[in-house]
Amino acid sequence: MTRKTGRRNFAEHVLPHLDDAYSLARWLAGDPTDAEDIVQDACIRALRALEDGALVERPRAWLLAIVRNAAYSWFAKNRPRAIILAGGAEEAEAHENALETGTSPSPEAELIETADRAMVAAAIDDLPLVYRETLVMREMSGLSYREISEATGAPIGTVMSRLARARALLVAKLGTSR
Amino acid sequence: MTEPDFEDRLLLLHAALDGELDAAGVIEMERMLAADPELAAQYARLEALRQTIRAKAPRERAPDSLRLRALEMIEGGELSRREAKTAPWRGPPSWKNFAAAMAATVVVTLGLQHLIASRDSPDALLQAIVSAHMRGQISGQPVDVVSTDRHTVKPWLAGKLPVAAVVVDLAEAGFPLAGGRIDVVAGAGVPTLVYKRRDHLVSVTELRAESGDDPATLRHLAVEGYPVVRWSDGEHAYAAVSDLSPTELDAFVAAFRQAVVKERGAGGGAETAK
Repeated sequence: MTRKTGRRNFAEHVLPHLDDAYSLARWLAGDPTDAEDIVQDACIRALRALEDGALVERPRAWLLAIVRNAAYSWFAKNRPRAIILAGGAEEAEAHENALETGTSPSPEAELIETADRAMVAAAIDDLPLVYRETLVMREMSGLSYREISEATGAPIGTVMSRLARARALLVAKLGTSR
Repeated sequence: MTEPDFEDRLLLLHAALDGELDAAGVIEMERMLAADPELAAQYARLEALRQTIRAKAPRERAPDSLRLRALEMIEGGELSRREAKTAPWRGPPSWKNFAAAMAATVVVTLGLQHLIASRDSPDALLQAIVSAHMRGQISGQPVDVVSTDRHTVKPWLAGKLPVAAVVVDLAEAGFPLAGGRIDVVAGAGVPTLVYKRRDHLVSVTELRAESGDDPATLRHLAVEGYPVVRWSDGEHAYAAVSDLSPTELDAFVAAFRQAVVKERGAGGGAETAK
């Protein structure tokens, strides 16, 4: 695989998904400047992989997996605490019933609809990292379960329960009176 | 068939919301929703949540600075860090600045030596046209004048270039007009029209006809992985480039040629209309 082919594949596989890459990084890092650094690092990794002849079947899932890895290495270097928190969420996930909906005042669809931008952003930011990345891939980028599974390295069943848990948390937060 | 337990039904609810159920699953889900008001209420909440996220926390656009750095990677320049450069195509859209910016992009894209060595060969022309198309896509600014109305695009181009470009409306053929821009090809400004198809763009650039051009022939080429179709109608030559499939690009070219013939047949009446 030549440099030229690698670059052409980069134009084909990476550039069309730059918005998805940036959105994921933005929601993971919570800061536009950090997100740019992360995506830039991811682009360099992607280009290297393509120049080394990486075969890409689902470019968007492939790129988001790279962005995710870049974000996690960035966290390890710059925000070690975020990783600890992410690990905590994985632990919690294993123990609690991910779908329990025992919130007493039943959340209302109307209330959810009237939440403003700041409230929605704050609620998403409050989600544990693994739930947040799953939700962002599904809702912002429209990835299928299979693509999310590929991008996060988690089995489809785990993707489903993370997504359900993320949504349950958001519904509880946005749908009860404030 | 045993009823799935509550937790499984909730997972199915999410799968239904995400379009991940097959037809049989959808039917089963609809049956369960009709029979279980609590499940239906949960579905309504999840739908409300989805609408809210879509409206209030949409996918974000990558900043132009990031696009530019990604573009630099393709062009093979050294990877620059964020602070290092500013976008060459930013700035006031005056013709002079714009031409300089475009020329700079073309030079960067082709490599200076290549440009000097073969600036008049047809390949260099097509390279420049494809580069301009790629630049438009990557920068997220494929057009300089945004309009679905050809009566806006045509005078805009006419005010910038010495040639009177033919602008046709192809919305009925499934290619609505997105706008126009000026590309710099072989040192001269040329009019380029941009049409849309779903999320894809088609750039069609008008060039001077060459003596050897045969009006009956379409030339199909691939430049940088993009399908390109080149043709001439005797008076003008055109090159269309897109990330559409070659088949769809052919459909575009057919529609465009037909519309141009019709437009010319109308004696340019559209120029004075409106």
